[in-house]
Amino acid sequence: MRRAKIRPLILPGVLALAIIALAVAAPILPLTDPVRQDVASRLTGPSALHWLGQDEYGRDVLSRIIWGARVSLSVAFAAAAAAAVAGTLLGLLGGYFRGVVELLTVRASEIVLCFPPLLLALLVVTLLGPGAATLVLSLAILFAPGFARVAYAETLSARALDYVTAQQALGAPTARILARTLLPNIAPPLIVQFSLTVAAAMLLESGLSFLGLGVVPPSPSWGLMIRGARSAMEQAPLLLFWPCLALTGTVLVLNLFCDRLRDALDPRGRASGKPGFLGRVLALPPAPQTPATPALLSVEGLTLQVPGPKGPVTVVRDVGFTLAPGETLAIVGESGSGKTLTGLAIMGLLPAAVRPVAGRIMLAGRDGTPRDLLRLPEPELRAMRGRDMAMIFQDPSSSLNPLLRVGAQVGESLRAHGVTDGIRDRVVTLLRQVGLPDPERAAVAYPHELSGGQRQRAMIAAAIANHPRLLLADEPTTALDVTVQAQILTLLAELKRAEGGMGMVFVTHNLAVVAEIADRVAVMYAGEVVEEGPAAEVFAAPRHPYTAALIESTPEGDAERLSAIPGAVPQPWAMPSGCRFAPRCAMAEPACTAAAPAMEETGPRRAARCRRWKEVA
Amino acid sequence: MIAPLIRGEGLTRIFHRRGGFLGRGVPMLALRGVDIAVNRGEAVGVVGESGCGKSTLGRVMLRLMAPSGGRVLFEDRDLATMGGAELRALRRRMQMVFQDPYGSLDPRRSVGAQIADGMAIHGIAQGAEAAERVAALLRQVGLDPTHAQRLPHEFSGGQRQRIAIARALATRPDFIVADEPVSALDVSIQAQVVNLLADLRAELGLALMFISHDLHVVRHLCDRVVVMYLGLVMEEGPAAEIFRAPAHPYTRALLAATPSMHHRAMTAPLAGEVPSIARPPSGCVFRTRCPMAQPACAESIPVLRPLPGADGRQIACRRAEEIAA
Repeated sequence: MRRAKIRPLILPGVLALAIIALAVAAPILPLTDPVRQDVASRLTGPSALHWLGQDEYGRDVLSRIIWGARVSLSVAFAAAAAAAVAGTLLGLLGGYFRGVVELLTVRASEIVLCFPPLLLALLVVTLLGPGAATLVLSLAILFAPGFARVAYAETLSARALDYVTAQQALGAPTARILARTLLPNIAPPLIVQFSLTVAAAMLLESGLSFLGLGVVPPSPSWGLMIRGARSAMEQAPLLLFWPCLALTGTVLVLNLFCDRLRDALDPRGRASGKPGFLGRVLALPPAPQTPATPALLSVEGLTLQVPGPKGPVTVVRDVGFTLAPGETLAIVGESGSGKTLTGLAIMGLLPAAVRPVAGRIMLAGRDGTPRDLLRLPEPELRAMRGRDMAMIFQDPSSSLNPLLRVGAQVGESLRAHGVTDGIRDRVVTLLRQVGLPDPERAAVAYPHELSGGQRQRAMIAAAIANHPRLLLADEPTTALDVTVQAQILTLLAELKRAEGGMGMVFVTHNLAVVAEIADRVAVMYAGEVVEEGPAAEVFAAPRHPYTAALIESTPEGDAERLSAIPGAVPQPWAMPSGCRFAPRCAMAEPACTAAAPAMEETGPRRAARCRRWKEVA
Repeated sequence: MIAPLIRGEGLTRIFHRRGGFLGRGVPMLALRGVDIAVNRGEAVGVVGESGCGKSTLGRVMLRLMAPSGGRVLFEDRDLATMGGAELRALRRRMQMVFQDPYGSLDPRRSVGAQIADGMAIHGIAQGAEAAERVAALLRQVGLDPTHAQRLPHEFSGGQRQRIAIARALATRPDFIVADEPVSALDVSIQAQVVNLLADLRAELGLALMFISHDLHVVRHLCDRVVVMYLGLVMEEGPAAEIFRAPAHPYTRALLAATPSMHHRAMTAPLAGEVPSIARPPSGCVFRTRCPMAQPACAESIPVLRPLPGADGRQIACRRAEEIAA
């Protein structure tokens, strides 16, 4: 475990240890005997001798709290531990084997949940007589089903994962899979459950003792103390306060500790991110005053940053391209190239942690006036989304709301922009336009009743409902089969013709798809555009070594061996100095790593970010 | 003729989508009688769209899933008749590489420990010897052997897929099922992993069942191709032949729909989508989307038979003669 991960554990850990140490050390601490009565000075307040005062029998409250902690904590921990072991085992077995085993373990343990907890505890206590051991047993029975359920649910989702199947494929015995693969991976929610259970067990122990069913007087326990203090509540309210404080404080410390422990055990660590629409706008320098080019969309010098542990990390740097009305621009790149973030920046849908720090995004709206989307206030941006610009997402099954009818969701984009009349008919017309068979029925269907391709068609219908000027498609066919992909690409091409003047930005990793549909292409690598130009020209004669290598590595043609680009895309926080592609580039020379190359014009409306573009053939 | 290393005969697999209360639910026919054989050292590509049963076939072949009908024979031994211990011992010789390099590695254990798992389970190597083998395997798949102590999330997708391949190789298997091993990877990384698989196959004489929806990748890596649709084999034969002259209307449509950088395809993309495996069409399963379908195609499921005039090719189409002519 890393030191950075342990640090958050220190504070709650020290507190929890202090509480436990106090309880353990009670016999050797210079405390008054917790059961020695001093009726003469009953209900006296705090004094030098008795720091927290004396109770209804004149016993020392501080001493009783510390001695009571021994009982409360040991009962709670023992009960929670017993419940955790038994419940986890039941849930793990039930979730892994399913079938009869599930019936005998998880379902059987759930019967316990049918009884009111207090009644069940009463039953056990009545059968076995009061006392700490009985209390542990009854609490363990009460809390085990909770662990069983959590372990069961986690096991169910974990056993379907490939790494569990991989263990089976390796021939691992079942016990090994359960203990070494499943248990560590279902542990985090169980740890949280444990902290909640310890807390709940302490509360229930107090409750049962309060009712006279738990710890037997005169042994001190927090529940008994609350019970005793209740009768004297009006004379000495503080008596009630101390055990309650002890109870609440311990519960909170435990919860905090277990939460931090779970985070520390997560190998990936917690994602950090700050909310910030306001911060986003404030971070931006004023827009450059150069006149906008007469294009539909022009992105200039777009730079995006995310906060990192060692200061902001630039994930998109100086990205620029232009799109004329009626054109399709493909942004192509590998994962980590910044292509999706660039697309989201255009829509103003950047994740909270990502901040634009420079550049501008000019979009000519329907009225023809160009606006800078990066600096537009959210309400105006919202008015433009869906009307001037619309977006199609990658996964059609998660981008439609499963609870609403398809027609209602397509109609929503009309309604959001002030259309009120004839929505039903327009929805059906739209669904017909995107090629859904039987559009009347599709309008009243729920998303799960449509296939993947049909859902994507419905998403497209919602996107084009208001005849947007710009359609942004983020990997819209990646989740689809090739025959369906071909249909959707054809549909998009048809729509673009029908919508006359609608521009399309198509984000993809698939070069062949780019070749099919794009007029222009912007190739991105490691957060930068490395080449931009007409798609056909770029593919026929790339001017950047990365574009060339990417085309070469596409598995087409009859070459015996694929030519692969060595190495991997650099991480945003470890960008090479100079040209970012240089470490993987076959043409790199010392000068390439010295300074970052700028975009150079390589032809009419073509540019590449390479010092040696003339030599790339 | 030499006996194949592993073969499946008449494999069927039925899933039951949960129906109402107490109901057994709708039967979904994921595999509907598939014969497949993989010879020693041979790479067989299984291609098809989602729902064609290719992943189910891979798992049934390794008996990670029991077939509902038919049998799998590894060196003429029926996997179904083996005891648990015997089957686990046999797993040393057949391994799997999964699609998702993020889900196929345990996020909480070091990659070295995971690669060593197979060796520990099968008593191949332990302690320092295992560590040495792990280092050698990491080197073999092109990774830094000193990174064995790292956790999976410290690697990129392509590197993780290399680790998964190293894990599969650790037991020195004879047969590997690779289920879409490069689909989740970037193009430039895909090429690296495809080349790695090709090298390893040549080096170690591995038999490979390569499951993919990407025809181009299959063409690069495989000797033979099996084209599947809705749980049935449509066409089978030498990879080069099938790509040069696809015979089955489905294979043709699949090739035509695959986007290419060199020619704008999409002349006439197939209409409609793959029908649900809960309600497959009667007769030939492809007839609902087939441009050559005739009323007779609905009558019976066409059997896989040799394509007239083409050596080593098989096709399941009533009109095979017309196609061949």
